[in-house]
Amino acid sequence: MSGEQFGIPGADQFTRFWGDFVGRLSANGVAPPSNDAAEAWRKAFFAAMTDHLDSFMRSEQFLAAMKQSMEGALAWQQTMNQALQKGLSAAQMPSRADTDHMVRLIRGMEDRLVDRLEELCGRVEALEKGAGAKAPRSAKR
Amino acid sequence: MMTQMPWAPTADAMLRQWQEVLTKTMALPKVAQAIQRTRVGATPARPIYREDSLRLLNYETGAEKRFKTPTLFVFALVNRPYILDLRDGKSVVAHFVERGFDVYNIDWGVPADGDRHLSIEDYTLRYIDHAVDELRKRCGCDKVNILGYCMGGTLSSIYAALRPEKVRNLIMLAAPVDWSSRDSLLSVWTDARYFDIDRLIDVYGNAPAEWLQWSFQFLKPVQNLLEKPINFYQNMDNEKYLEDFFAMETWLNDNIPVAGETFRQFVKYMFQQNRLIQGRLEVGGERVDLRNIKCPIINLIAEGDHLVPPAQSEPFNDAVGSSDRKTIKFPVGHIGMAVSSRAHRDLWPKACDWLEERSEPLGK
Repeated sequence: MSGEQFGIPGADQFTRFWGDFVGRLSANGVAPPSNDAAEAWRKAFFAAMTDHLDSFMRSEQFLAAMKQSMEGALAWQQTMNQALQKGLSAAQMPSRADTDHMVRLIRGMEDRLVDRLEELCGRVEALEKGAGAKAPRSAKR
Repeated sequence: MMTQMPWAPTADAMLRQWQEVLTKTMALPKVAQAIQRTRVGATPARPIYREDSLRLLNYETGAEKRFKTPTLFVFALVNRPYILDLRDGKSVVAHFVERGFDVYNIDWGVPADGDRHLSIEDYTLRYIDHAVDELRKRCGCDKVNILGYCMGGTLSSIYAALRPEKVRNLIMLAAPVDWSSRDSLLSVWTDARYFDIDRLIDVYGNAPAEWLQWSFQFLKPVQNLLEKPINFYQNMDNEKYLEDFFAMETWLNDNIPVAGETFRQFVKYMFQQNRLIQGRLEVGGERVDLRNIKCPIINLIAEGDHLVPPAQSEPFNDAVGSSDRKTIKFPVGHIGMAVSSRAHRDLWPKACDWLEERSEPLGK
């Protein structure tokens, strides 16, 4: 298929310019890239970039910046948390701190109950053994 | 002849470019359909046990069960566990089910704000232990096989060290146990000098899912932010590629928060203080001694793992008390262990063979 069949305006001038340009490149020993070469270039570029970014993300400079930005984000979030907590408290609504407190209480209660149950299970097992009864095997928890 | 001119964009080349743009444009409806069609989870499963947000899933297929000991999959807490059963042909679960194993998977669920106090003790001595007890009761056996992937492998090793009498075989899949090497970017970023884990958890409660996701993306920024979109453009008219791509993206973007206390302990005790391999970790008042693990173990290590470099997994075999221990290093990345075609062709059949040789057939 030739360029003339398309009749794109200015195509001939561009083709001549491009031909001149690449002719000069070729005369200077620059080889035209094939599709494979372009792909290889892209891969090489990305590989180099990957290595450099990896080194950069391990650098003192990056880590210090990461620390600083994180401190900023945490300070902002903490301010927000406090403001929300005050607002919710003023509206007599439970805040996250309140639910946290509740969860802690429930967990404490659960732990005490489980400990007590385990103690009771141990005593029952000991009694059953003492009585020589054939108790069903209970899974150790 | 213009075609003989080097560097010249011939009419043919221009036409090809135009045709490619057209092809990609025409493929857009195909892309939309592929998004709509995306399904994750290949094997039918139903929950057989629930506790808080945990669900213990049992995979049920027509495959004949050949082994008595149930096999429990324990996945990490940062993503959803369906990566082990992503799609047909990319399902680790399917390998084991087809071999006749009775397979279960722990779906941890999504931690709510109130779960910020859940610790490693809760996940190992409570959730995993209760799931194991449920399986022992259900299957009428004393022990279970455990396969732990990534952070789930670390939790599994802690559990196996604390309750060795309940574990028959242990499969560690890309699981970190030794953080002394600084190969991984995660180890560098979590250095105590730059990363205040206490403050993060005190402020946020749980480790936020979006923050975790961005951290993982930035471990390989060129691959995730540049190469991936280019590859997608080049393959957007390939239906098979689209199906795999969207299934994978669904999983990758399905991060969940990690319970605050567990995250704090994991970063502090593992990444920063490396307590597990040194035998200095205490869980629920019990010291975790990996030498207590005496069951057969197989350590599956991904050679190209950027999340869990081989140096973090390799020391496991020397740290345990087992005499039957094996390592397989496989030339893929962290996720590739679960989803790459190569792993499904060459790795998982071998892992199933290993487990089969150490399993008691039904009826014995």
